[in-house]
Amino acid sequence: MTTMAPDTSASIAPVRKSITVRATQADAFRIFTTDMDSWWPRSHHIGKSPMKRVIIEEKAGGRCYTEQEDNTECDWGSVLAWEPPRRFIFAWQITPQWQFEPDLAKSSEVEVTFTGLGDGRTRVDLEHRHFERHGAGGPAMRTGVDSPNGWGDLLGMFAAVAEKA
Amino acid sequence: MHDIQLDAMGDPTRRAIVQTLRAQGAMAVGDLARRFPVSRPAISQHLKILKDARLVADEAQGRRRLYRLDPAGFSSLRDYFDQFWTEALDAFAEHVEARANLKRRKP
Repeated sequence: MTTMAPDTSASIAPVRKSITVRATQADAFRIFTTDMDSWWPRSHHIGKSPMKRVIIEEKAGGRCYTEQEDNTECDWGSVLAWEPPRRFIFAWQITPQWQFEPDLAKSSEVEVTFTGLGDGRTRVDLEHRHFERHGAGGPAMRTGVDSPNGWGDLLGMFAAVAEKA
Repeated sequence: MHDIQLDAMGDPTRRAIVQTLRAQGAMAVGDLARRFPVSRPAISQHLKILKDARLVADEAQGRRRLYRLDPAGFSSLRDYFDQFWTEALDAFAEHVEARANLKRRKP
Protein backbone atom coordinates (compact mmCIF):
# COMPACT_ATOMS: atom_id res chain seq x y z
CA MET A 1 0.00 0.00 0.00
CA THR A 2 1.75 3.10 -1.21
CA THR A 3 -1.11 5.45 -1.84
CA MET A 4 -0.50 7.98 0.89
CA ALA A 5 -1.24 11.02 -1.21
CA PRO A 6 -3.85 13.44 0.15
CA ASP A 7 -7.27 12.16 -0.65
CA THR A 8 -9.79 14.93 -0.64
CA SER A 9 -12.33 13.10 -2.73
CA ALA A 10 -12.89 10.40 -0.14
CA SER A 11 -16.52 9.46 0.19
CA ILE A 12 -18.63 7.28 2.39
CA ALA A 13 -20.66 4.56 0.73
CA PRO A 14 -24.39 5.30 0.57
CA VAL A 15 -26.89 3.48 2.73
CA ARG A 16 -29.40 1.58 0.57
CA LYS A 17 -32.60 -0.01 1.82
CA SER A 18 -35.53 -1.61 0.05
CA ILE A 19 -38.89 -2.66 1.32
CA THR A 20 -42.08 -3.89 -0.35
CA VAL A 21 -45.42 -2.65 0.92
CA ARG A 22 -49.01 -3.58 0.25
CA ALA A 23 -50.13 -0.36 -1.40
CA THR A 24 -50.36 1.04 -4.90
CA GLN A 25 -47.48 3.12 -6.14
CA ALA A 26 -49.50 6.32 -5.75
CA ASP A 27 -50.56 5.44 -2.21
CA ALA A 28 -47.06 4.42 -1.19
CA PHE A 29 -45.66 7.68 -2.51
CA ARG A 30 -48.32 9.74 -0.75
CA ILE A 31 -47.96 7.95 2.57
CA PHE A 32 -44.19 8.25 2.49
CA THR A 33 -44.20 11.95 1.66
CA THR A 34 -47.39 13.89 2.35
CA ASP A 35 -48.39 11.55 5.17
CA MET A 36 -44.89 11.13 6.59
CA ASP A 37 -46.23 12.21 9.94
CA SER A 38 -48.29 9.01 10.12
CA TRP A 39 -45.23 6.78 10.39
CA TRP A 40 -42.14 8.88 11.13
CA PRO A 41 -40.49 7.74 14.39
CA ARG A 42 -41.56 10.35 16.94
CA SER A 43 -38.22 10.39 18.67
CA HIS A 44 -36.46 11.64 15.60
CA HIS A 45 -36.41 15.40 15.33
CA ILE A 46 -34.05 18.24 16.17
CA GLY A 47 -36.49 20.57 17.91
CA LYS A 48 -36.07 21.82 21.45
CA SER A 49 -39.45 20.53 22.61
CA PRO A 50 -41.37 17.35 21.74
CA MET A 51 -42.40 17.14 18.11
CA LYS A 52 -46.04 17.55 17.13
CA ARG A 53 -45.88 16.65 13.48
CA VAL A 54 -43.62 16.43 10.48
CA ILE A 55 -44.47 18.27 7.29
CA ILE A 56 -43.19 17.83 3.73
CA GLU A 57 -44.10 20.62 1.32
CA GLU A 58 -45.22 19.02 -1.93
CA LYS A 59 -42.96 20.69 -4.47
CA ALA A 60 -39.32 20.90 -5.48
CA GLY A 61 -37.73 23.45 -3.19
CA GLY A 62 -40.35 22.78 -0.52
CA ARG A 63 -39.44 22.63 3.14
CA CYS A 64 -39.19 19.55 5.30
CA TYR A 65 -39.83 20.58 8.88
CA THR A 66 -41.42 19.64 12.15
CA GLU A 67 -43.86 21.53 14.33
CA GLN A 68 -42.94 21.34 17.98
CA GLU A 69 -45.10 21.44 21.07
CA ASP A 70 -43.72 24.85 21.97
CA ASN A 71 -45.24 26.08 18.67
CA THR A 72 -41.89 26.54 16.98
CA GLU A 73 -41.05 25.11 13.59
CA CYS A 74 -37.87 23.28 12.97
CA ASP A 75 -36.47 22.87 9.47
CA TRP A 76 -34.47 19.73 8.78
CA GLY A 77 -34.49 19.35 5.00
CA SER A 78 -35.60 20.51 1.56
CA VAL A 79 -37.37 18.76 -1.26
CA LEU A 80 -34.89 18.40 -4.14
CA ALA A 81 -37.13 16.40 -6.48
CA TRP A 82 -40.89 15.98 -6.29
CA GLU A 83 -42.00 13.51 -8.96
CA PRO A 84 -45.11 11.66 -7.79
CA PRO A 85 -45.67 8.78 -7.84
CA ARG A 86 -42.21 7.69 -8.85
CA ARG A 87 -39.44 9.61 -7.10
CA PHE A 88 -38.80 11.86 -4.11
CA ILE A 89 -35.43 13.33 -3.18
CA PHE A 90 -34.77 15.43 -0.12
CA ALA A 91 -31.72 17.05 1.38
CA TRP A 92 -30.80 15.91 4.88
CA GLN A 93 -29.89 19.29 6.36
CA ILE A 94 -28.78 18.37 9.82
CA THR A 95 -25.32 19.19 11.04
CA PRO A 96 -23.22 16.80 13.11
CA GLN A 97 -24.21 19.05 16.03
CA TRP A 98 -27.90 18.38 15.35
CA GLN A 99 -28.67 21.83 14.09
CA PHE A 100 -30.32 22.84 10.84
CA GLU A 101 -27.75 23.14 8.05
CA PRO A 102 -28.78 25.86 5.59
CA ASP A 103 -25.99 25.00 3.15
CA LEU A 104 -26.99 22.23 0.74
CA ALA A 105 -23.32 21.63 -0.06
CA LYS A 106 -22.91 20.46 3.54
CA SER A 107 -26.00 18.26 3.51
CA SER A 108 -26.45 14.64 2.52
CA GLU A 109 -29.42 13.57 0.44
CA VAL A 110 -32.01 10.85 0.41
CA GLU A 111 -33.58 9.50 -2.77
CA VAL A 112 -36.71 7.38 -2.51
CA THR A 113 -38.12 5.61 -5.56
CA PHE A 114 -41.43 3.79 -5.80
CA THR A 115 -41.93 0.92 -8.22
CA GLY A 116 -45.38 -0.58 -8.65
CA LEU A 117 -45.18 -4.37 -8.83
CA GLY A 118 -48.54 -4.74 -10.55
CA ASP A 119 -50.09 -6.88 -7.83
CA GLY A 120 -51.16 -4.09 -5.50
CA ARG A 121 -47.73 -3.93 -3.95
CA THR A 122 -44.98 -1.36 -4.35
CA ARG A 123 -41.27 -1.65 -3.83
CA VAL A 124 -39.68 1.31 -2.07
CA ASP A 125 -35.96 1.82 -2.62
CA LEU A 126 -34.18 4.32 -0.43
CA GLU A 127 -30.67 5.63 -0.85
CA HIS A 128 -29.06 8.01 1.63
CA ARG A 129 -25.85 9.34 0.12
CA HIS A 130 -23.08 11.95 0.33
CA PHE A 131 -22.50 11.54 4.05
CA GLU A 132 -19.03 12.96 3.56
CA ARG A 133 -20.56 16.38 2.95
CA HIS A 134 -21.44 16.63 6.62
CA GLY A 135 -17.73 16.58 7.30
CA ALA A 136 -17.35 20.08 5.95
CA GLY A 137 -18.58 21.47 9.23
CA GLY A 138 -16.17 19.42 11.24
CA PRO A 139 -16.75 16.42 13.43
CA ALA A 140 -19.64 16.43 15.85
CA MET A 141 -18.97 17.42 19.37
CA ARG A 142 -20.29 16.67 22.78
CA THR A 143 -23.04 19.24 22.51
CA GLY A 144 -24.78 17.10 19.96
CA VAL A 145 -24.23 13.92 21.85
CA ASP A 146 -25.57 15.35 25.09
CA SER A 147 -28.74 16.77 23.62
CA PRO A 148 -31.73 14.88 24.96
CA ASN A 149 -33.67 14.68 21.73
CA GLY A 150 -33.74 10.96 21.47
CA TRP A 151 -31.54 10.37 18.49
CA GLY A 152 -29.65 7.86 20.49
CA ASP A 153 -26.07 7.15 19.76
CA LEU A 154 -24.93 10.27 18.08
CA LEU A 155 -21.35 9.40 17.98
CA GLY A 156 -22.09 8.28 14.51
CA MET A 157 -22.56 11.80 13.47
CA PHE A 158 -19.06 12.89 14.12
CA ALA A 159 -18.01 10.41 11.64
CA ALA A 160 -18.48 12.62 8.71
CA VAL A 161 -15.05 11.78 7.67
CA ALA A 162 -14.43 9.39 4.99
CA GLU A 163 -14.21 5.77 4.48
CA LYS A 164 -11.63 5.54 1.74
CA ALA A 165 -12.42 3.64 -1.36
CA MET B 1 -15.02 2.27 21.99
CA HIS B 2 -17.46 5.11 21.50
CA ASP B 3 -16.65 6.70 24.86
CA ILE B 4 -12.96 6.61 24.05
CA GLN B 5 -13.66 8.24 20.72
CA LEU B 6 -15.79 10.94 22.28
CA ASP B 7 -13.11 11.69 24.83
CA ALA B 8 -10.54 11.82 22.08
CA MET B 9 -12.66 14.31 20.17
CA GLY B 10 -13.40 16.36 23.27
CA ASP B 11 -10.16 18.31 22.90
CA PRO B 12 -10.03 21.26 20.49
CA THR B 13 -6.45 20.58 19.39
CA ARG B 14 -7.29 16.99 18.58
CA ARG B 15 -10.35 18.06 16.65
CA ALA B 16 -8.15 20.46 14.69
CA ILE B 17 -5.66 17.66 14.02
CA VAL B 18 -8.45 15.47 12.69
CA GLN B 19 -9.66 18.25 10.43
CA THR B 20 -6.14 18.89 9.19
CA LEU B 21 -5.57 15.24 8.41
CA ARG B 22 -8.90 15.11 6.67
CA ALA B 23 -7.93 18.02 4.44
CA GLN B 24 -4.29 17.05 3.88
CA GLY B 25 -4.30 13.27 3.90
CA ALA B 26 -1.29 11.64 5.52
CA MET B 27 1.16 13.83 7.45
CA ALA B 28 4.27 13.39 9.57
CA VAL B 29 4.35 14.63 13.17
CA GLY B 30 6.76 17.42 12.31
CA ASP B 31 4.53 18.73 9.52
CA LEU B 32 1.57 18.72 11.86
CA ALA B 33 3.51 20.39 14.66
CA ARG B 34 4.41 23.30 12.39
CA ARG B 35 0.72 24.05 11.90
CA PHE B 36 -0.14 24.19 15.57
CA PRO B 37 1.03 26.42 18.39
CA VAL B 38 1.95 23.41 20.49
CA SER B 39 5.16 21.42 20.80
CA ARG B 40 6.02 18.39 18.76
CA PRO B 41 5.88 16.10 21.83
CA ALA B 42 2.41 17.46 22.55
CA ILE B 43 1.30 16.67 19.00
CA SER B 44 2.71 13.17 19.41
CA GLN B 45 0.72 12.75 22.59
CA HIS B 46 -2.47 13.91 20.88
CA LEU B 47 -1.82 11.52 18.00
CA LYS B 48 -1.35 8.67 20.43
CA ILE B 49 -4.75 9.37 21.99
CA LEU B 50 -6.38 9.57 18.56
CA LYS B 51 -4.66 6.36 17.59
CA ASP B 52 -5.82 4.58 20.74
CA ALA B 53 -9.34 5.68 19.85
CA ARG B 54 -8.81 4.25 16.37
CA LEU B 55 -9.53 7.56 14.76
CA VAL B 56 -6.01 7.85 13.38
CA ALA B 57 -3.71 5.20 11.96
CA ASP B 58 0.02 5.45 11.34
CA GLU B 59 2.28 3.87 8.82
CA ALA B 60 6.04 3.92 8.33
CA GLN B 61 7.18 5.39 5.06
CA GLY B 62 10.95 5.22 4.74
CA ARG B 63 12.28 6.83 7.89
CA ARG B 64 9.16 8.81 8.48
CA ARG B 65 5.96 7.84 10.19
CA LEU B 66 2.85 9.19 8.54
CA TYR B 67 -0.48 9.69 10.25
CA ARG B 68 -3.82 9.62 8.54
CA LEU B 69 -7.46 9.18 9.51
CA ASP B 70 -8.49 5.63 10.18
CA PRO B 71 -11.54 4.94 8.01
CA ALA B 72 -12.70 2.17 10.32
CA GLY B 73 -13.14 4.59 13.21
CA PHE B 74 -15.16 6.94 11.09
CA SER B 75 -17.57 4.48 9.58
CA SER B 76 -20.11 4.91 12.34
CA LEU B 77 -22.02 7.74 10.66
CA ARG B 78 -22.97 5.33 7.96
CA ASP B 79 -23.75 2.64 10.54
CA TYR B 80 -26.01 5.07 12.31
CA PHE B 81 -28.08 5.78 9.21
CA ASP B 82 -28.10 2.15 8.21
CA GLN B 83 -29.81 1.40 11.51
CA PHE B 84 -32.00 4.48 11.36
CA TRP B 85 -33.43 3.76 7.90
CA THR B 86 -34.04 0.14 8.78
CA GLU B 87 -36.21 1.27 11.68
CA ALA B 88 -37.88 4.07 9.75
CA LEU B 89 -38.78 1.90 6.75
CA ASP B 90 -40.11 -0.80 9.07
CA ALA B 91 -42.32 1.79 10.71
CA PHE B 92 -43.46 2.94 7.26
CA ALA B 93 -44.27 -0.62 6.15
CA GLU B 94 -46.12 -1.38 9.36
CA HIS B 95 -48.26 1.67 8.90
CA VAL B 96 -49.06 0.78 5.28
CA GLU B 97 -49.86 -2.78 6.32
CA ALA B 98 -52.22 -1.66 9.08
CA ARG B 99 -53.93 0.63 6.60
CA ALA B 100 -54.28 -2.18 4.04
CA ASN B 101 -55.85 -4.43 6.68
CA LEU B 102 -58.26 -1.72 7.70
CA LYS B 103 -59.32 -1.14 4.11
CA ARG B 104 -59.94 -4.82 3.55
CA ARG B 105 -62.23 -5.07 6.54
CA LYS B 106 -64.39 -2.19 5.36
CA PRO B 107 -67.48 -3.28 3.40
